[in-house]
Amino acid sequence: MINVYSISIVFSITFLITVIELVRKNRLQERYSLLWIIMSIIVLILSSTPKIINTLAEWLDIKNPPSLLFLFGLVYLLIYNLHLTAVISNQSEKITRLAQEIALLKQELDNANK
Amino acid sequence: MKILVIIPAYNEEKSIASVIRQVRQHVPEADILVVNDGSRDNTAAISREEGALVANLPFNLGIGGAMQTGYLYAYNKQYDVAVQVDGDGQHDPAYIRKILEPVFSGEADMVIGSRYVETTSYKSSLTRRTGMIFFSALVSLLTGKKIKDTTSGFRAVNKEIIEYFSRHYPSDYPEVDVLLKLHRKKFRVMELPVEMRRRSAGNSSITPFRSVYYMVKVSFSLLIESIRSTKAMK
Repeated sequence: MINVYSISIVFSITFLITVIELVRKNRLQERYSLLWIIMSIIVLILSSTPKIINTLAEWLDIKNPPSLLFLFGLVYLLIYNLHLTAVISNQSEKITRLAQEIALLKQELDNANK
Repeated sequence: MKILVIIPAYNEEKSIASVIRQVRQHVPEADILVVNDGSRDNTAAISREEGALVANLPFNLGIGGAMQTGYLYAYNKQYDVAVQVDGDGQHDPAYIRKILEPVFSGEADMVIGSRYVETTSYKSSLTRRTGMIFFSALVSLLTGKKIKDTTSGFRAVNKEIIEYFSRHYPSDYPEVDVLLKLHRKKFRVMELPVEMRRRSAGNSSITPFRSVYYMVKVSFSLLIESIRSTKAMK
């Protein structure tokens, strides 16, 4: 039967395999893959046992249980994106410092060769 | 006293030679460092021909990153004072001595060469003036100090600030931001009137299109700066 749960199951399994493949081929570092792996496993569990999501939805007074799945995914992506921009900020600071050090080193070299 | 004049330059081949010559004429004892911020023209070669020290950044970092390169150099080579002068010719090197004076005497840690302290012949557009008044008001609201020309990049600083800037310098639109940083670190900032010229070549990095972003970005940075944790500033 095709419904949101079965689609979700197929998707999370594909996603999990893709992430592991990327790590295996050294195109994604372990530290960044971990959060993706955790997420796909959680989504896999939630979509293969609708009971959990149904109970949660009932508690939270959500009429359509699958929408809780979407909400969960959305919030997760939001947090992960924030994490990534923090990583980028840190890296851009380091790149700036590297560029500055390189410029000064080259200057030093030029001077020595004069 | 070892003096370093830092000239950040991005595609300034038309004006850089005359800036370097004028600096040398007015402050012959100073070393001149041109920080070439990834120019695609002959800025670096011309500066070298004029006898300036040249630091070539491997790619464009923007004004903040370029200025900091100069401060890093000044810190490494233990200069006592540093002066930043734009490479486009709008700052008149004849005033370098004037803005250095209070730094030498210990009266101020940083001196800003300002176009507004006294009536100078500088004429600027209405939008620019509005922006200046706005930032000036915002800075005085946040620091309690009156600084009229908050965006002037014509500045002289002492050794302590050189050391501080070598570690902390905002990456983009740094001029206004820095004032708050220095205020929070209890450095003394002073403003002296100078005449500014129209840039002899090139265009302002601030186009009308970007000016709205500029206002928003700088205001936001200022607000963040005023609540930044002191730990992140050390």
